[in-house]
Amino acid sequence: MSGKPKLSMYWATACGGCEISLVNIHEKVLDVDANFEFMFCPCLLDTKKKDIEAMPDKGIAITLFNGAIRTEENEEMARLLRKKSRVLIAYGSCSYEGCIPGLSNLHSREDHFKTIYLDNPTVDNPSGVVPTPETAVPEGTLRIPSFYERVKTLSDVVDADYFIPGCPPEPHQVWNVIEAVVQGRQLPPAGSVIGAGASAVCEECERKKEDKKIKKFYRTYEMIPDREKCLLEQGIVCMGIATRSGCGALCPKVNMPCTGCYGPPEGVLDQGAKMIAALGSIIDIGDVKGLSEEEIAKRADAVISSIPDPAGTFYKYSLPGSILKGRIS
Amino acid sequence: MKTGVYFCNCGTNISDKIDSEKIREEILKLPGEIRFRTIDFMCSEDGKEALEKDLKENGMERAVITACSPRDHENTFMRVLSKAGLNPYLMQMVSVREQVAWVTEEREKATEKALRYTNAALKRLALQDPLEHKEIDICPDVLVIGAGPAGLKAALSIAESGRKVVIVEKTPVIGGMPVRYEELFPNMECGPCMLEPVLGDVLHGEHSGNIELLTISEVMDVVGSYGNFIVKIRRNPRYVDADKCIGCAECMTPCPVSAKNEFNYGLDERKAIYLPFAGALPNAPSIDNAICLRAKGRDCRLCKDACPVEDAIIYDDAESIIERNVGAILVAVGAGVYDCKKIPNLGYGSMPDVYTSSEFERILASNGPTEGEVKTAQGKRPKSVAIIHCAGSLDENHKEYCSGICCQYAFKFNHLVGKKLPGTKIYHFYKELSFPGKEEFTLYHHAKEDRNTAFVRYRDMKDLKVEKKGAKKAVTYKDASGKKGSAPADMLILCPAVVPAEGSGSLGNILEATHDKFGFFEELHGRMDSAQSKIKGIYLAGACQSPMDIQKAMSQGMAAAGYILSGLVAGRKLEIKPITAVVDADRCSGCRVCMSVCPYKAISYDTEKEVSSVNEVLCQGCGTCVAACPAGAVKGNHFTTDEIFAEIEGVLA
Ligand SMILES: Cc1cc2nc3c(=O)[nH]c(=O)nc-3n(C[C@H](O)[C@H](O)[C@H](O)COP(=O)(O)OP(=O)(O)OC[C@H]3O[C@@H](n4cnc5c(N)ncnc54)[C@H](O)[C@@H]3O)c2cc1C
Ligand code: SF4
Ligand code: SF4
Repeated sequence: MSGKPKLSMYWATACGGCEISLVNIHEKVLDVDANFEFMFCPCLLDTKKKDIEAMPDKGIAITLFNGAIRTEENEEMARLLRKKSRVLIAYGSCSYEGCIPGLSNLHSREDHFKTIYLDNPTVDNPSGVVPTPETAVPEGTLRIPSFYERVKTLSDVVDADYFIPGCPPEPHQVWNVIEAVVQGRQLPPAGSVIGAGASAVCEECERKKEDKKIKKFYRTYEMIPDREKCLLEQGIVCMGIATRSGCGALCPKVNMPCTGCYGPPEGVLDQGAKMIAALGSIIDIGDVKGLSEEEIAKRADAVISSIPDPAGTFYKYSLPGSILKGRIS
Repeated sequence: MKTGVYFCNCGTNISDKIDSEKIREEILKLPGEIRFRTIDFMCSEDGKEALEKDLKENGMERAVITACSPRDHENTFMRVLSKAGLNPYLMQMVSVREQVAWVTEEREKATEKALRYTNAALKRLALQDPLEHKEIDICPDVLVIGAGPAGLKAALSIAESGRKVVIVEKTPVIGGMPVRYEELFPNMECGPCMLEPVLGDVLHGEHSGNIELLTISEVMDVVGSYGNFIVKIRRNPRYVDADKCIGCAECMTPCPVSAKNEFNYGLDERKAIYLPFAGALPNAPSIDNAICLRAKGRDCRLCKDACPVEDAIIYDDAESIIERNVGAILVAVGAGVYDCKKIPNLGYGSMPDVYTSSEFERILASNGPTEGEVKTAQGKRPKSVAIIHCAGSLDENHKEYCSGICCQYAFKFNHLVGKKLPGTKIYHFYKELSFPGKEEFTLYHHAKEDRNTAFVRYRDMKDLKVEKKGAKKAVTYKDASGKKGSAPADMLILCPAVVPAEGSGSLGNILEATHDKFGFFEELHGRMDSAQSKIKGIYLAGACQSPMDIQKAMSQGMAAAGYILSGLVAGRKLEIKPITAVVDADRCSGCRVCMSVCPYKAISYDTEKEVSSVNEVLCQGCGTCVAACPAGAVKGNHFTTDEIFAEIEGVLA
């Protein structure tokens, strides 16, 4: 073992994209290697859990923890890595706010099991077996980690020091953070979001912005948007207004709306709620002077109903990290 | 942070329901340096003194006042904090009287509730920032738009107090509608005579030096806000120097071209150089460039040749754009009347001798197109006259509201027709009759007692139809009881709904002042602040705000003058309350979502820096933009997101 500070990366409930994003810093990976001992990363390295358990507390300099907390095992690893790391960073949208796995908070565990193990047409499960933490077999009792009722974020279960947003984080932002650590620059106060801006994506988006009035929303396949004009003004639900800056407005640049992966801007507590409040302010239902309340509601409903899948659109990345955290049954 | 919690018993109002000892016990268990004290009748002189003393003696830095509604005494206790040397915004009131004691039956529950609210107040108070009132310099001058009764009354009283007033009037004459009426309800005074003292004072009274009157002029653009507006005005040429002109009217006779006189609703003609009617003020004609031969390149000089005064007529007068700086703007552009062609069954525009009330006013006027003679198109005296009330008013197909003034002038007409043409049969067709007030009934009583006057109540406009019967006309009707009938009508007078003045929409856009659902200028509050618009510094008077008679228009003019004189005082600075929204330019992404949401138009966008900002003079602190800003860049002072969440958490804890 070298004397270099130790760097680890762990995946909980994640897709693997975060690991790719780290590798995506290309040749700078060599700098990482020169400065750190990259010692734990189940996706790339063969270190085992028992090796981590054997380490002294705070023996790891930095852990990049990606993935949401869906199972008992995810939480167990989060606790272990918290104990062993000096700096624990929630890396990527899943561990920061729950991300796509977090959308399952719109349903209960029972619903999930039913869909996955019982109703799924490609599953043959005549005895209706669903996972349980303990199963009696002739040889004794089998234990598997329990599946939580809800997806949680990393900071729901342990104290995370920093948060790097993104699905996945942009390589240049990842590098910014690593560089700051390597150069020994002062990091912001614990609890901060790092590797991102403080404003919203619009700040980095070069499209022309006008005062907004939206009469109808369109899905992306319904139109080819003008490349110069603000997408939202054209009726495409672009989450850029309510999404933290830092990515460089990549999606709007290629004529696709921002879907919100960098999470809420600094100081915004609930990205989805903010988006709804903002859209509520700019939806144009025409002149309502003299109209009855029912008529006004009808017009508003007509515009709102053109938004497909509101929960999945406004909370695509942030449901577990939001105020409601999921469906309240 | 030393925080005092001061609990008022309010006699037994609060103490009956809330156990202050229990609150003390629980509050003192909370972390932090908290002091608890009960003060009876805290709003009394003794109570305020006790509070002040306690704050000072114990070195308190913040205070929770657990007492009545902040609507009642927030200002009272803020003043006490100031006296005790504390920033008054470091205080939070808990309304335990209105929101707890008065509405909760069980003492235990009320105490629990009060405790939660007090806890919430403490949580929020810890985050509150000290806020300061700011002051800005103001311009005390005033712009009045529209020279009708409302505008002139206001202008005159503002000028009388020594302040400069700019009046912008679109037409060449001042006085508004009533100077066109021969007589006025309720007391049958002559219109121009009644208004003369006001018009005379504006033109050459003691304080007229403070008034700049711009006729044939229009407001083109307004920027700035309360205290400091910059107004751009287009001044169209009159071609006559109103100061030099002696008003002899010699110039008008030789003029070879003429057009319909819009002041008489096209019932007669006037020349290219004209006075709209005899006695119009200012007493100087103007040249209508649309028809003047000179404007068509011809070298006509007939008017100038006829003029006895040198250089009174200025052919090379030209349009000019002028700018004025004012602190307040009064909108007094009056109203218009509904287009009766939209009610085809009444025959307006398609049958002879069907007039609107405005037209009939001019027919009655001795300076009108017929010099006051009432006769039919065939030159005969009408034997029967039908007056249709509520033409377009109280009608969901037209205007839902009651126009308020029509019944009164209808009975004025009744009186005048009866006087001019005794024995004429007059039929009043009405839906409702309305003439509230202590003087307004008299003309109605005369009409009721007159045996030549008949009343027919109808339910719906479609129950009336004006029909030709040979050479005669008649109103066939179904009355309110369902009975059908017909009344002869040699002449018809329609009382159209009063509607917003032409062009008040575009004026509203220039001023950014809003309109109500009918298009009238919208008041800040219909009952309590009808002379103020929703935009600070823009006031309303007269029929531009709602249909009204001269009495109310004048009173509203005075009300607006009062607001202006008390709010904008020369030499005094304008105080800006600190509870406003503030945009953090670093966080603003420039998305422009906030731009359209502010009801007070306080937000503007800097296209260069690509960020929004809030004008703190205009901002009323409503918080709409704070909620709308998706970037979290707008902070509501005293109602920050953190403060609100701390409060919610405090209640739920
Ligand atoms: C047929 C009829 C009869 C009436 N008889 C009576 C009566 O007998 N007694 C009574 O008390 N009330 C009567 N009224 C009501 C009376 O006319 C109004 O109460 C009164 O005119 C309201 O005064 P005002 O100053 O608000 O508006 P107005 O008198 O309409 O004056 C508004 C002024 O603003 C000017 N203006 C309009 N737009 C602009 C602009 N964009 N820029 C600059 N200037 C502009 C107009 O040219 C006008 O000079 C009658 C109304 C009608 C329709
Ligand atoms: S809504 Fe917020 S981010 Fe957008 S322009 Fe306004 S202040 Fe700036
Ligand atoms: S707080 Fe209200 S009044 Fe102030 S700028 Fe925002 S929307 Fe306008």
